[in-house]
Amino acid sequence: MRVPQAVRAGLIGGAVVLYLGAVGMLERFSERSIIVGLIRFNVVVMAAAFFVFALFAYRRASGEASTSLGPGITAGTVAGVTTGVVVIILSLLVDAGVDVRSMFLRISPAFFEAVTLGTNPYIGLIILAVMGALMGAAAGGFRRLAPTPRTIVVTVVGTVLLLGLGARLFIPMLQGLGIPTAWLYRSDALTILGAIIVSVLAVVIRLYLRRKGGFRKALVEVPGVTPSNVRPILFVLGAIAVLAAPWIGKQFVADVLGTVGLYILLGLGLNIVVGYAGLLDLGYVAFFAVGAYTVALLTARSSSMVGATIFDLAPEPLTNFWVALPITLIVAVVIGILIGAPVLRLRGDYLAIVTLGFGEIIRVLILSDWLKPIFGGPQGITEVADVPAFGADTNDPRVLYYLIIAFALISLFIAGRLKNSRVGRAWAAMREDEDIAEGMGVSVIKYKLLAFAMGAAVGCLGGAFFPAKLGVANPGSFTLLVSINVLAVVVLGGMGSIPGVIVGSAILVGLPELLREFGEYRLHIYGAILVMIMILKPEGLIPDKRRALELHADEPHESVGPLTAAATPGVQ
Amino acid sequence: MSLLELKGVSIRFGGVQAVKDVDFHADLGEIVGVIGPNGAGKTTLFNIVTGFYSPDEGTMVFDGTNISGLKPNALTRLGMARTFQSVRLFNAMTVLENAMVGQHTRTKAGLTGALIKGKATLEEEALITAKAREALGFFGQRLLPRQNQLASSMAYADRRRLEIARAMATEPKLLLLDEPAAGMNPAEKEQLIEQVGRLRDEKGYAIVLIEHDMPVIKSVSDRVVALDHGIKIAEGTYDQVASNQQVIEAYLGKAGEEARAEMDGEVSL
Repeated sequence: MRVPQAVRAGLIGGAVVLYLGAVGMLERFSERSIIVGLIRFNVVVMAAAFFVFALFAYRRASGEASTSLGPGITAGTVAGVTTGVVVIILSLLVDAGVDVRSMFLRISPAFFEAVTLGTNPYIGLIILAVMGALMGAAAGGFRRLAPTPRTIVVTVVGTVLLLGLGARLFIPMLQGLGIPTAWLYRSDALTILGAIIVSVLAVVIRLYLRRKGGFRKALVEVPGVTPSNVRPILFVLGAIAVLAAPWIGKQFVADVLGTVGLYILLGLGLNIVVGYAGLLDLGYVAFFAVGAYTVALLTARSSSMVGATIFDLAPEPLTNFWVALPITLIVAVVIGILIGAPVLRLRGDYLAIVTLGFGEIIRVLILSDWLKPIFGGPQGITEVADVPAFGADTNDPRVLYYLIIAFALISLFIAGRLKNSRVGRAWAAMREDEDIAEGMGVSVIKYKLLAFAMGAAVGCLGGAFFPAKLGVANPGSFTLLVSINVLAVVVLGGMGSIPGVIVGSAILVGLPELLREFGEYRLHIYGAILVMIMILKPEGLIPDKRRALELHADEPHESVGPLTAAATPGVQ
Repeated sequence: MSLLELKGVSIRFGGVQAVKDVDFHADLGEIVGVIGPNGAGKTTLFNIVTGFYSPDEGTMVFDGTNISGLKPNALTRLGMARTFQSVRLFNAMTVLENAMVGQHTRTKAGLTGALIKGKATLEEEALITAKAREALGFFGQRLLPRQNQLASSMAYADRRRLEIARAMATEPKLLLLDEPAAGMNPAEKEQLIEQVGRLRDEKGYAIVLIEHDMPVIKSVSDRVVALDHGIKIAEGTYDQVASNQQVIEAYLGKAGEEARAEMDGEVSL
């Protein structure tokens, strides 16, 4: 039997909403308001699901159907009814004494309340169906809006969601700037009046910028700003924002941005190995750990340090952070080459698996009983000294934030210079085709080791700040998940792209920090975002120029030449 | 002494004697054509000469240097460059960048050069770009106007040309071309014949080319070497080699065997 597209989209939409409910997300989201007393976050998520799947229904529709509201309303209604009916069935099962929760732990009274918007399942069915139909119609209407009204709608929805969800970020920031927040926020949600005011403001600004043809062009109209100095002015504005952020936003913002900065360092390092040289390294956490443990060993007071246990020295730090840092760099480069050397002959999948192994070996070593006298086993190394920074108190996360930003900038510079150089070209050639690169005169061994060494050096900087930030280095922080996260940052931003690493870190590391209150669902959301971006933009958010060309170029000649020659080892 | 001199070169892969006791030489300013049926060991010979395979026996001298056991990148530095039977470009790099990679062994900016980007490095980058453009310019308007396109977006014949340009950018003495005319139409083949001739006359390269297209071999080769089953069976001018009984048998005998195998197949069905 052929199920109409709209119905199919609706059924999938219903399934998605039920899934979100069954894992407990909607229940948790219902605790959070976007606008006080008006819109809760669970409602936003359900409506968004209906809206998105209604849009899918239109995408497949053709001819007359694509211009009517039919497909969307059908899809939305089907999604709502599907959700409602399943909720009724579940409630009947519960009433009949079936222990639904033995399998679906989250099908609690709170689940019913969240999905039915606080009513009973039967009224809930009606509400869901109406909501679905309305969202379906809205999706259809949205598609046919002229550009200007469409911009207004997107701006209003975006502003309200951003300010509503980011309340815990923006409230301290506004207070830091001395702006009263009572009119805008009440108990972590927007007030109705506040939502209206910021929406109007946002729309006015957005339309003004649109009329001027973009932010840059609007800026040029400000007295004193000319097209030639608009770039430096933007740079200075950006720098001021970055420098001022921790003062405006207090400790929380400094913490989040500091973590993002750490991941920028790690991402830039891995980007050299994976993005530039094409060596898939799944054990990158090793360098993070090496940086962290070397700094910790050299600057910790704790009794687990080498000096105290082996040389019977007094439990005092061997040295301070600034002396430890160059030593750490050297250690990381040496270990980078040690790890790189045995895998020189390996390619692709094999390389990935072996590096994965090396990452685990490092973690197991620092966790082991054997090396416990040095690395402290599961406890790790505690009492790591703060970074002495020109007399400033480094317990203050802001100082550490500035240090991390400074090193991130240095690494950005290094990564940029390397990319556009003879070395960068040799890496790119090697990434494209190792045999041919060697045939064109590139010493593959030398450049592979160089990539590992540079990747290790930049990555260990991230590691070096880690114990300084937390005051402790322990094995729990250096799991495979870190390697995967850093790789995700690189891939999401766009392999080989430097701005991509920054954006990737902000989204994959910064966003989850803001969503921390959703606790266990962070990974759900994270996963969903990752999947969506990889489907919609496989080349990454800010792709490298070359890669973007490659993935989107029309290649009419591709079929003429011999295919997949590069995939076969050996030389034809 | 010739630029390239091979004596008694052999290589075996498991039970297959791919190249056996081959003597071979090439001089500056000459074009040597290498012919032979499929599986005769032509590409294997190229791979041995260019360091991708290491021969089991034999001596190889290039430009006065014993090159046995040297890696491909070392040979490129000595002045050897090649193209590949199946076009193998750096697809996600631009046309210009492909040629710029060719300059790798002729330049030396390393890590410090890249990071500090002083006067020397900037001058070197300018030189690399100029040399790469010069190599692209050899093919007239085919490559230069497309220098910022991705290599993968080029037409097939242009990709073959880019492979040659990339090899030229290494500033070689010896150029090895593996079936450069494959997949080209008659007009493109005419151009190729003229261009290979110019490479010899203007650049003074020693050129060795493998080709199945006999008219191309006939037009460009100063000397022809025929291989069969890894053994050199004939050498001389095109006419001498073409009239050689062993060469005729190698080609016809092969065809005869194929015909027989096909007939056997039909019977067993």
